[in-house]
Amino acid sequence: MESLIGLYKPSGRSNLRAVFSIALKDWRIYWRYPLNAVSHVLQPIAWIVPAYFMGQAFSVNGKALGFAGYSGTTDYMSFILIGSVIAAFINTVFWGMGYSLKEDMDTGVLEPNWLAPASRPLLLVGRTLTSLLITTITAFSTLAIAALLFGFQVDGNVLSALAIAIPMLLGLYGFGFAFAALILVLREANTMVDVSSFLVTTFSGTQFPVTALPSFLLPVALALPLTYGLDAIRGLLLTTTTLLPIWAEVGLMALFMVGMTALGLWVFTRLERWVRRRGTLSQH
Amino acid sequence: MQPSAIQPIPPVSLYHTGLLAELRTFWAVVRREWTIFLRYPSWVVAMLVWPVIFPMIYIMSARALAGPQGAGLAVFQLRTGIQDYIGFIAIGTTIWMWQNIVLWDVGFSLRNEQLRGTLEANWMAPARRFSLLLGASAVQMVTMLVFIAVSVLEFGLLYGVRYNGNPLLVLLMLLVCIPSIYGLGIGFASLVIAAKEAHTFVFLLRAMVMIFCGITFPLSVLPGWMQSVASWLPQTYMITGMRLAALGGADFATLWPYIRILLLFGVIWLAIGYTLFAQMERRARRNGTIGHF
Repeated sequence: MESLIGLYKPSGRSNLRAVFSIALKDWRIYWRYPLNAVSHVLQPIAWIVPAYFMGQAFSVNGKALGFAGYSGTTDYMSFILIGSVIAAFINTVFWGMGYSLKEDMDTGVLEPNWLAPASRPLLLVGRTLTSLLITTITAFSTLAIAALLFGFQVDGNVLSALAIAIPMLLGLYGFGFAFAALILVLREANTMVDVSSFLVTTFSGTQFPVTALPSFLLPVALALPLTYGLDAIRGLLLTTTTLLPIWAEVGLMALFMVGMTALGLWVFTRLERWVRRRGTLSQH
Repeated sequence: MQPSAIQPIPPVSLYHTGLLAELRTFWAVVRREWTIFLRYPSWVVAMLVWPVIFPMIYIMSARALAGPQGAGLAVFQLRTGIQDYIGFIAIGTTIWMWQNIVLWDVGFSLRNEQLRGTLEANWMAPARRFSLLLGASAVQMVTMLVFIAVSVLEFGLLYGVRYNGNPLLVLLMLLVCIPSIYGLGIGFASLVIAAKEAHTFVFLLRAMVMIFCGITFPLSVLPGWMQSVASWLPQTYMITGMRLAALGGADFATLWPYIRILLLFGVIWLAIGYTLFAQMERRARRNGTIGHF
């Protein structure tokens, strides 16, 4: 007699095994292209160098006096370097989470992977782990190199800044779930990922104080929770002028973490089921 | 005597390519690329949104550096003699975007086929492989010219950039940029076949343009050795020449040194591009690695 019991019996351990297997596979693929690894460290430097020379064109004796009018600090490069580290994590969420599913679609492995007896949000978590680890390593390597080249001066409390960065990143990764699900639906990822990540990094103020935006664009920046997280981190590390009191920005980050993680998972589950029902998982 | 049942195969190859056959191949690739391009409507976003948002990050940074009272702007104007920093940045970033998109599109046209598993099959067609790459480049060139036209309009409408130059001279500058930009793209495509992983080369090349060619800052702020490197890159002349033509109202005599050097760079880069492609393509076929990725 045919058994009515399904093979799908996920447990905590089998889910962990799936997450670990995916992370390990990504780690191996990453190091299979060693030039890519080098470029991940050097590429952000290429974005920072023009900012440095542009800063020089507006500065007197290395002090950006006009810039201080908006930010409260004349240390333009330290401001930029903190923004660049956060931008690296934002880009990882968009490219590492959103684009990873598109890569699986293109190479034809998404549907077989989706058939594995494991929770699908966890499959995405697995794809995120390696990129998160690599981004942490490369972002801080870049910071070290840039600090040597351009100087990096921190006056404030690093641990307090980290305490703000963690909920901000968790909320960001929550958002990544919803974004990845959208890629599953739309199937064309490159432009969407590129434009979205660029807009979020620009409007959250990674490269300039958002108060420098024209008044009609400022509400866009103020609507992004990341703006406040980044602002609080800079306020703590560089004693810049903040948009809100730091305690209020910390509260916003805690709300962002809880709300965005729940919303991201909900959207991912709904859209992923919708895509499976339509049978478009393997189309690209 | 019984006639032989099996006729010997003539030792003539099936590979009879001629100009007409090459044109047909070229046209077939153009149609395929155009169909794929239109199949994903995100091109509208890329065409309309990128020209506005990419320069924005630099324009807003410059605005922040200038300060609310313009204290930094006075320093910038004193140092560079440039009044319109928005137009200055818009033109620099447009040339950078053009080169960047060509590197991704032309270079990755082969890489994408490798990933989809169609490169080897297409290269077995009785046609010159270079025609396949030219077809992809031609579609890309048309879309980029539209992209630049949209950029010019949007800079004027949204950022208030005022063009003081002769439109025909601006167009001439644009045309003399094409050989260098696409020669580099074709040479780059050949590197992709050999190295498999193209991202690193794109990052390296576009980083060189970004760092040395003064897309957002005047070359005068660079140290001497960096200015020497910049003088060997065609994009430096494209950016400076285009700024002179579009913003500075320069005449033909002023632009001629830029046009001449860009034509020279164009010939060199197209020759390098073709030679690299021919070498790498032969090597990949000999090693049997065309389908590897």
